[in-house]
Amino acid sequence: MTKQSKTDKITSDLLRPIRLNWSFKIWFGFLGLALLVCLGAYGLQLKNGLSVTGLGDYVSWGMYLSNFVFFVATSLIGMLISAVLGLSGQKWAAPLARIAEIIALAFAAVAGLVIVMDMGRPERLLNVFIHGRVQSPILWDVTVITIYMVISALFLYIPLIPDLKICSEKLDVPPFLKKIYKILSLNWEGTIEQKKMIQQSTRVIAIFIIPVALAIHTVTSWLFANTMRVGWDSTIFGPYFVTGAFVSGTAAVIIAMYVFRKNYKLEEYITEKLFDMIGKLMVLVSLIYLYFNLNEYMVPGFKMKEMEAILIRDLFSGNHAILFWSVQLLGLVVPIILLLFKKMRKPLPMLVIGFMVLLGAWFKRYIIVVPTMEHPFLPIQNVPQSWKIYTPTLIEILVTLAPMIMVLMIITILAKVIPIVSVSETLEHLESVEQAEGELKK
Amino acid sequence: MYNRNFKIVALAVVSVFFLQTFAQNNWNVPADKKAKNSYIKFDAASAGQGEAIYNKNCASCHGNPGKGNVQKTLNPIPPDLSSIGTQSLTDGELFYILSSGRGLMPNFKSMLSDEERWKVISYIRSFNKGYVQTLSKFDPNKAKLIKVSTNYDRKTAQVKVDVKVNEKSGIVALKNAEIGLFVTRYFGKLQIQKNQLTNADGQTVFDFPKDIPGDKTGTVELVVKLNDENYGEIESSTKLQLGVPTDKPALTDKRAIWGTLAKAPFWIILLYLAGVFAFGAVLLYLIFALNKIRKSGSNKPQ
Ligand code: HEC
Repeated sequence: MTKQSKTDKITSDLLRPIRLNWSFKIWFGFLGLALLVCLGAYGLQLKNGLSVTGLGDYVSWGMYLSNFVFFVATSLIGMLISAVLGLSGQKWAAPLARIAEIIALAFAAVAGLVIVMDMGRPERLLNVFIHGRVQSPILWDVTVITIYMVISALFLYIPLIPDLKICSEKLDVPPFLKKIYKILSLNWEGTIEQKKMIQQSTRVIAIFIIPVALAIHTVTSWLFANTMRVGWDSTIFGPYFVTGAFVSGTAAVIIAMYVFRKNYKLEEYITEKLFDMIGKLMVLVSLIYLYFNLNEYMVPGFKMKEMEAILIRDLFSGNHAILFWSVQLLGLVVPIILLLFKKMRKPLPMLVIGFMVLLGAWFKRYIIVVPTMEHPFLPIQNVPQSWKIYTPTLIEILVTLAPMIMVLMIITILAKVIPIVSVSETLEHLESVEQAEGELKK
Repeated sequence: MYNRNFKIVALAVVSVFFLQTFAQNNWNVPADKKAKNSYIKFDAASAGQGEAIYNKNCASCHGNPGKGNVQKTLNPIPPDLSSIGTQSLTDGELFYILSSGRGLMPNFKSMLSDEERWKVISYIRSFNKGYVQTLSKFDPNKAKLIKVSTNYDRKTAQVKVDVKVNEKSGIVALKNAEIGLFVTRYFGKLQIQKNQLTNADGQTVFDFPKDIPGDKTGTVELVVKLNDENYGEIESSTKLQLGVPTDKPALTDKRAIWGTLAKAPFWIILLYLAGVFAFGAVLLYLIFALNKIRKSGSNKPQ
């Protein structure tokens, strides 16, 4: 194959998915309908207040807050793949950068909404800005998540500029869309100076996003750890949350890789080798997280302080035992063992494992939030049984699903309007490979 | 024949039902309290004020009268107060129940004043069309005639409360009035000993503990609550130097984590602003870079 035909093939392969087809319309219509149902449930909650949920005086942070932590966690993956791996010269991960960024942006953008959904009177959110106190982790959280969202959007956008130019030239779309691509591509011509600016600013973001990403999940963990409650009053909550975030984020990327590879026919770009590598990454982050889990439960489990012991027993052998052990085993230990085998690091098995881990990650947040709330220091007296044990209602479950649907919609739309594997970088990669080959021949 | 049997069974069922309601309503109210009547007229005005008090203090358990939305998860289930069972209680009984409580039914003696309790009852009665009120001859204005003086005897460490009434016939001592002595604290009133009755001279004595913290000079505020059959209830407070002098700065004086924004510790303000400024700087740089990319592209001749 000549060089020109190779270039053309790559460009057309990667741009091919950017068009409206039936499967997209059906999928999006389905998401839209599902979202409507969930928003209907939210309407009921707005009208009647949080009494339509299973939340109460004791468990006031139920599914919604678990969902919030899950969202913030999953959004951290952008920083791991694009920034940490990128900066440390792990070239193999480059084709995943955009997928990771899209996931990060979608989850970060919706995380804020999840908090609003936990409020019976959402208009009171304004009070955070009117009466906010810099001493409050809530204010830090709002600040840092907004920053992360902006930075993630730029992290997606800036490396995308050359691709936007290609899109405006090569895509077969209505003229006004071409115009939008053109405007967004900022007169890109690939001059040396432009390339230098992109490289520099991408590097600045890659460095800056690391502390910001660490901050968002550390601050989220402080919402818990800065209280004195059993199960939360822990000094390792920051790293515990951050490492957990890498696990759920990697799982989300694996699932997205599989779906895009299949639907967009990108087998040549999202290769089996890539699955193999990301599988190994998954083992690494899961092992680290397992280590933190060991710390988090072993230390209080050894001491069994009076109040702590009640919670630990509840988790290990009480009300929450089944969920606790399923999460630890099926969501963490079994995936680690499976992924040690090369055969399991193939696309389909990885998809299944990805779902296991992601589901485990969600319920893990539940296990962190709910059981602690059920065990306050002051004894719960003279209240009906249903106030002591939290049971989510149907409305609550639907409202919890809404942000997930929104995330899928954002990812779907973004993956429809921009190439999900960078065209310009793939071309550059091809060039450097050929240069190396040429030098070998000489 | 069949019909008659049915009637007997029905009668039995109904009487068992009634017996049960009576059993539940059996609050064992002493005869004198049962006969007590309100000095507040039960009219639209007092019922209206009572409704507000009811919604704040009672509705969470008893629901809205007649609406059937009582808190059914409690045991015993709080009765709907517009029900026949409750309405067949006398005003005095209702007042007694509100004042003394039982099990899950809290007592409101210290939370609601006599007047407020009567107003709630006025509201409850507004759901009973057939109810006719018997007003008590008690005149609440008479409370104004009472004069309470409170003194501290350092030697015996006792607080002496002396109650006099300024009647037309002259100043007389008030016998058998119920007196409660309290000290004002941050979050409410701390009771000193139990309530006592005044003696023939209108006096009563409380042993006062020596370790009650006062302000810088040892001053504490004493509150005397008096309740009398004929003169009603009054509250009088005096400041006396009988506490331990304590000089602790208020917890909100200095900059602290728990303070308002204006009282935030400097280090936290600094850290927060540093983060926000760092973000601002990076953002400015990126905008600058994007602008440069755009410019350098358009400057180049095509
Ligand atoms: C914490 C829940 C609760 C609150 C708050 C409460 N009650 Fe009750 N109340 C009860 C329960 C339970 C009973 C039944 C007690 C029993 O039978 O032992 C009851 C009984 C009563 C009764 C007796 C009714 C009857 O027919 O026997 C009256 C009258 C009453 N409450 C009035 C009030 C008023 C007025 C208020 C507000 C000032 C109030 N309650 C607040 C729980 C409550």
